[in-house]
Amino acid sequence: MNEKAPWWVGILGWGTAFVIFLPILIIAITAFKTEQDAYSLSLLFKPTLQSFNEVFERSHYLGFVSNSVYVSLGSTIASLALAVPAAYSLAFFPGKRAQKILLWMLSTKMMPAVGVLIPIYLLAKTTLLLDSITGLIIIYTLINLPIAVWMAFTYFNEVPKEILEAARIDGANAWQEMLHLLLPTALPGLASTALLLVIFSWNEAFWSLNLSSVNAAPLTVFIASYSNPEGLFWAKLSAASLLAIAPILVLGWLAQKQLVRGMTFGAVK
Amino acid sequence: MIQSTRPAQYGFAERWLPRLVLAPSFLLSLVFIYGFVVWNGYLSFTASSLLPRYEWVGFHQYARLFANDRWWVAVFNLFKFGVLFIGISMLVGIFLAILLDQKIRFEGFIRTVYLYPMALSFIVTGTAWKWMLNPGLGLEKLMHDWGWTSFTFDWLVNPDMSIYTVVIAAIWQSSGFVMALFLAGLRGIDDSIIKAAQIDGATLPRIYWKIILPAMRPVFFSTLMILAHIAIKSFDLVVALTGGGPGFSSDVPATYMYAMAFTRGEMGLGSASAMMMLLSVSAVIVPYLYSELRRGSR
Repeated sequence: MNEKAPWWVGILGWGTAFVIFLPILIIAITAFKTEQDAYSLSLLFKPTLQSFNEVFERSHYLGFVSNSVYVSLGSTIASLALAVPAAYSLAFFPGKRAQKILLWMLSTKMMPAVGVLIPIYLLAKTTLLLDSITGLIIIYTLINLPIAVWMAFTYFNEVPKEILEAARIDGANAWQEMLHLLLPTALPGLASTALLLVIFSWNEAFWSLNLSSVNAAPLTVFIASYSNPEGLFWAKLSAASLLAIAPILVLGWLAQKQLVRGMTFGAVK
Repeated sequence: MIQSTRPAQYGFAERWLPRLVLAPSFLLSLVFIYGFVVWNGYLSFTASSLLPRYEWVGFHQYARLFANDRWWVAVFNLFKFGVLFIGISMLVGIFLAILLDQKIRFEGFIRTVYLYPMALSFIVTGTAWKWMLNPGLGLEKLMHDWGWTSFTFDWLVNPDMSIYTVVIAAIWQSSGFVMALFLAGLRGIDDSIIKAAQIDGATLPRIYWKIILPAMRPVFFSTLMILAHIAIKSFDLVVALTGGGPGFSSDVPATYMYAMAFTRGEMGLGSASAMMMLLSVSAVIVPYLYSELRRGSR
């Protein structure tokens, strides 16, 4: 390959990046406009926090935020608690069927969630978990579990086996090995897994739209409620969307590699 | 690939513990999907309407489904959406990957920008696109303000075109992800082969066409699998962008199922449509998993 790209390739790359970023940029700019200014896409306007104030005042915005936080963190902790031991076992005590177990778990992620919506809905209704944070945490944990196991497994697999052998020769038992060797070496990987799970749960919309309405509704449900274009809500919608995606704009920057890795089940590192 | 590191001196607990800690994750994720699929399958053979009624009616709901025009609109939409979405995302993604592979300055920054849409929720991006494509508010109004008064872009409210707005938004969302997959593949190719080809006088397009793209076949295949299942699952984007409308012109099977089961009180019909979706996904992934399993046990 050439050592330096020709100038037009650079322009093309930056141009495409700008076009791709444009919708996000429009949201970010419109959020600081008044509703009157928002009606035109002009850049000449006086920035105002009016829309943010209205979003805070007129809806229980903080309620949606806290639901999103509870559900994302709760389900991330729960899926890690289940997945890390499982991945540990698969990576270091694989047995004959390890590969099959992993593929079976992967297959559940490929199935469309719509296929199980009615039974889950009925079950949630009878157990009174419909529109409850606990219900959403349980569902999010279950849908993220296969990803969590796969991700943790691929990170555990990257731990060099020689270190473990050496520790064992020195007389370490399984628990010591796990505490003093594995967790420290695999910790960055597990942190990435956690980050990924938080992003996925934060963005999850299928289950939140179908299983929550008022009490447990996270931000995704709140944004969806703005999608009716009757009246002029452009600026408020943008402000609400910007607030909803702000954490992801930060986490997404940090976690871009994990995001790709997670969506390909560890195939792309 | 996986090597057993189990030494002989481990005791009883240490031999059973691994299975014990694996079991919950394995069973939960399998029961969560396949257990409920069975339940859903049972419902599809019953007369359930607003509430589940466990009265066996055989294939009645399936017969109704196949006689339902709206279902076929949804199926055909998914087909159009899937082909265009997968095809164009692939092309754009490969183009972006090749672009980034040219050692552009600030590549890391540009790559992150390309990937951003994927990190956002379909609900947020769908809603944003809904406003941008709205004839009275977004692109069309912008063009009118700039003096191009004959410009019209009414796909969002045009029943013949509404499904294509979903295609646009989905391509925007996924191209960066496809780029990341192909870029990882491109970076994995041995540079010396390319150098050798260059010395032999091969042009850059020829190198890409003859050496690099054929080497990317596994990447191509896995990208196809991932995009296909994103397409079949598409629900949030359609809900946020068009709501399946105008009318039911941009329905996909997932939104059809939702409309039947939850707003029309046709639970049996809804579960029958869900079963059809599950069967079509299985038709794609079962051969794939089977080949993987065979490879794994070899």
